[in-house]
Amino acid sequence: MSTYPEKFRFGEFVGSIVWLVFIILILVTLIGLPLIFVVLFYAPLPPVGDQVLTPYLFLSMTVDPTRTLPIIKYFIHTDLFRIAAFPGFSYAALFAAVTIFVERKFLAKMQLRVGPLYAGKIEGIFQLLADGLKLVSKEIIVPSGADKPIFWAAPIAFVATAAAVTTLIPVAPGWVAANINVGLLAVFAILGFFPLIALLFSWASNSKYPFIGGLRALHQMIAFEIPFILSALSVVILAGSLNLTEIVNSQISSNWYILFLPISAFVFYISSLAELERIPFDLPEAESEIVAGWLTETSGMIYGLIQLGSYIKTYALAALFVVLFLGGWAGPVIFPAELTPGYTGVRIYNAITASAIFWFTIKTFGMIMLMLLPRGINPRIRIDILLHTGWYKLIVLAFINMFVALALVYGGILGPGGLLVR
Amino acid sequence: MFDVDPLFVGVSVLTVGSSIVALETKELIYGAIALAIGMMGIAGFFLLLDAPFVAMFQIAVYVGAVAVLIIFTVMLVRTQALFTTKEDKGRKGAGIVLMLVIMAGFGAILLVSGFNNPSYGNFNSPGIDFTAIGKEMLTYYSPALVVLGLTLAGSVVAALALARREDIEQPQ
Repeated sequence: MSTYPEKFRFGEFVGSIVWLVFIILILVTLIGLPLIFVVLFYAPLPPVGDQVLTPYLFLSMTVDPTRTLPIIKYFIHTDLFRIAAFPGFSYAALFAAVTIFVERKFLAKMQLRVGPLYAGKIEGIFQLLADGLKLVSKEIIVPSGADKPIFWAAPIAFVATAAAVTTLIPVAPGWVAANINVGLLAVFAILGFFPLIALLFSWASNSKYPFIGGLRALHQMIAFEIPFILSALSVVILAGSLNLTEIVNSQISSNWYILFLPISAFVFYISSLAELERIPFDLPEAESEIVAGWLTETSGMIYGLIQLGSYIKTYALAALFVVLFLGGWAGPVIFPAELTPGYTGVRIYNAITASAIFWFTIKTFGMIMLMLLPRGINPRIRIDILLHTGWYKLIVLAFINMFVALALVYGGILGPGGLLVR
Repeated sequence: MFDVDPLFVGVSVLTVGSSIVALETKELIYGAIALAIGMMGIAGFFLLLDAPFVAMFQIAVYVGAVAVLIIFTVMLVRTQALFTTKEDKGRKGAGIVLMLVIMAGFGAILLVSGFNNPSYGNFNSPGIDFTAIGKEMLTYYSPALVVLGLTLAGSVVAALALARREDIEQPQ
């Protein structure tokens, strides 16, 4: 039971809030506004449209919605916005947040439980907020004898590596932070950092359970990396490109590759589950065997960062599955061309891009749900079965579909000038 | 005189510095991490040379596999047993002098060679795509590719044969 102060007066409460507002207003007038003007005077501002952005113009734009539009348009086409906000980190972090909550409710419904219920009135929707506040306010305990620099750096490196993968994923035509010619290879190169980080963090914890978990993570990730790459290789054979945008475009001009390469898609799905350490393959974090695996010594925000990183990685791999096999943003245009008929002036949004983002988000979310599903129904598998699956079965399966892809290309069905290419 | 690329200087400092750390640090695990960073610096050189394909393989193989292998080995082996000899100042000084001599020699060779000609870098031919390299590999250089593939396959088969355990008793 929470306790209330003895002398609570509603009038005093309102009075304190009024005082706060008053002080904030005075501070804004005396410090904030002059500061804004100084910054706007000295910072080099971009030309927007046909006029140079002056402080006066900037302030008049911020109060007039129709004049704010060009400046917003300018900022959402900068590289910083792409990396930090939309196809990059914030979008992925939003996905991660939604995934964490949906996972708990979804698994609870599957197992006839209720899941988070009390934080927030409706079905516990503020549970994530409560968990986040708890993690932020918790003390971070560094174990004695731990290697401090690595212990502090590894969680940040984990999140940074996961976020680096998301910058390579194209969400809509042209909406990708880094559109490079070897995008798929870059994704695999970056994914190769994860075993290194897990191993270093487990070693730096100076405790035996994390170390066992780290070794398991290393074995597992290395064993499944090869079928992972091989299953994506058959897509490359069909698309004839390593650029992820090109891969999506070639699927739009023919068909979704999951129709031609179901075995590759299956291998990719299984390997990404193993790469993510999700439930049938969660040996590195097996909580009934080795406490919490390589996360045993984490507490507070270090745990929070690693969880954030692993859910961003979940988004990235689900999005990669969508890009490689489910046609990326392919789908009918469902948004009207103009949001407000009769509005004269600049277009508010692009209907094609909006529906592309919509389809991509829907597909990625469905894929994430499919990745969450085994957690509700599967037991953890033994480590020798896991390694056997990775090294023997999945590699062979991936090769089978690679030969199918080669036959499709050399038989003139897909590839340049193929039968099914529109 | 020179048109110095700040990115190149940064990557060079990162690569050389982390290589020196990899050699000089007492903690083997930090040495291995520095080695991984140095390899990433080499990948950065490949990126600067417009060879992203090679750069990505450099990261995937050398950072993702070789550095992991080295760190794994370092963690499993007790590091104190490896290095019992004391640091010798004379040897260290001699090593630094030798390195400087070799670097000066290479630098002198480069300076007197055609690389120093300012018109050397001004060729206008387009960069070679990795698809073009792949085509060359499968047409003109195909015998070499086949020999390489057979060698690799042979070594994989030999490794499997060596790793096969014969001491497992069959359950009756």
